[in-house]
Amino acid sequence: MRSVIPNQYTLACGSTAAILLAMPCSAAFVIGGTSIGVSSSAGTGTVSNTLAQVSTTSWAATGSWSTPSASVSWTNNTFGWNNSTQSGFANGNIVVRNNTSAAQDFSVVINMGGTAGGPLSVSGSLGGQFVNGSTLLGSLTSNGPLWEARADNGVVRSELNNALFFAQPFQVISIGNFGFSNPLYGGSVTNSMSLRFSMRLSAGAEASFTSTVAFQAVPTPGAAALVCLAGVFGQRRRRR
Amino acid sequence: MRFFICLGVGITLVTSQASAGVEAPRFSFNMAADGVAGGGAAADFGSVQQVSQTEWLFSGSYGSTSGSMLSWTYLVDPDPFVTGTFTVTNETSVSREYVIDFVLPIEPALTASLISGQVAGTLTDANGSGSALLTSMGGGFAFSALADGSVVQGLMANASHQISVANGTSSFTGGSFGFPTPIAGPAINMTIGIRFAFSLSAGDSVSFSSVFVANPVPGPTSLLVAAIFGGMRQRRRY
Repeated sequence: MRSVIPNQYTLACGSTAAILLAMPCSAAFVIGGTSIGVSSSAGTGTVSNTLAQVSTTSWAATGSWSTPSASVSWTNNTFGWNNSTQSGFANGNIVVRNNTSAAQDFSVVINMGGTAGGPLSVSGSLGGQFVNGSTLLGSLTSNGPLWEARADNGVVRSELNNALFFAQPFQVISIGNFGFSNPLYGGSVTNSMSLRFSMRLSAGAEASFTSTVAFQAVPTPGAAALVCLAGVFGQRRRRR
Repeated sequence: MRFFICLGVGITLVTSQASAGVEAPRFSFNMAADGVAGGGAAADFGSVQQVSQTEWLFSGSYGSTSGSMLSWTYLVDPDPFVTGTFTVTNETSVSREYVIDFVLPIEPALTASLISGQVAGTLTDANGSGSALLTSMGGGFAFSALADGSVVQGLMANASHQISVANGTSSFTGGSFGFPTPIAGPAINMTIGIRFAFSLSAGDSVSFSSVFVANPVPGPTSLLVAAIFGGMRQRRRY
């Protein structure tokens, strides 16, 4: 049973804006839609977003959130949940810019609604750049993790805890590489997977991040044992 | 002491008069993927926003017919500098060679310049294939700073960055020139620009953040004008 809900909803609430996009659904590994939300101390932004289906199991979102003095843009943020391979992924790039004359806070949430039977093995990575486009010393900081991958409301992985980067006027800084492939998320996903960015940018600064997260169903010991037993019985029948 | 104060005021006035303007500059881009080129005025493919008296923010995206997606966020000042980030994704099943230019008309022309630039980037295994590769083309510069269409400085010669982990990312520093002390550059009459030339593996993406700044060098004429201006102000006081 597949249902397609092509409608697109735009929400704006206080300084938070989000886009909800309904997606086709399939059984078991089910994607329930996606949302990209931005909130900032720089004010209430205007959201635009385009969603394109790039394969039978994946979609790409390109859009932006902007105020007269700040912006967040995302391009080709692709994501998908594949029921036949029991896997899912999200990756993409966001660019956050503060054009105000004071430091501003930004929070960006890329949310993929859906369900997936656990346990799940999770892998991913994060990289980025920080550009100080002002004539004063610039900074990129976070109070807590700058980046998180979450399953439902549980943190699967976080990076750049209490981040602190400084850049001279018109300096470009590479934020570095952060990768992981070992976390095992024991539970099932009952609501959503999400990527979250939280940061404070100094006046005139820009930060861009590219991140990926992929999750794959891991057979439970019981299921694995059943598969092994089925194989053994199958072999014995063939021998007979 | 008064002379230097007046000199400073004079230079400031000369500079501010030269940089005044209200219309957005025609910041443009061109992307060639395996020789197939496309582009135009950046404002026609996104948004442009004035963020200060002389600074403009361009954001947009461009999907080429050859299967490449380009997006950008650039802050520019015709006075001039270009700073920002672009991301390109090779959505095809084969490796592609890209030459991507961003060009900014300047005002006023610079009879002599002091220039500086930097670049950094992130390569991503966007299709989760387990590998991604970025190389500069023919061992040349992956990043070049342009003045009137000619290369004045290059960075990331013989660049090669590789990922061998599924869904991995690799951030790199591409180096700098004229930082922290700007170096002598050429006279610039019409435009400054930045060029990225690289090969990118199938299904993968790369983002580059860069800065290119060209500052005018006060020439003898400018100094003379400023000095005369300063002298006149002193005489008025007396």
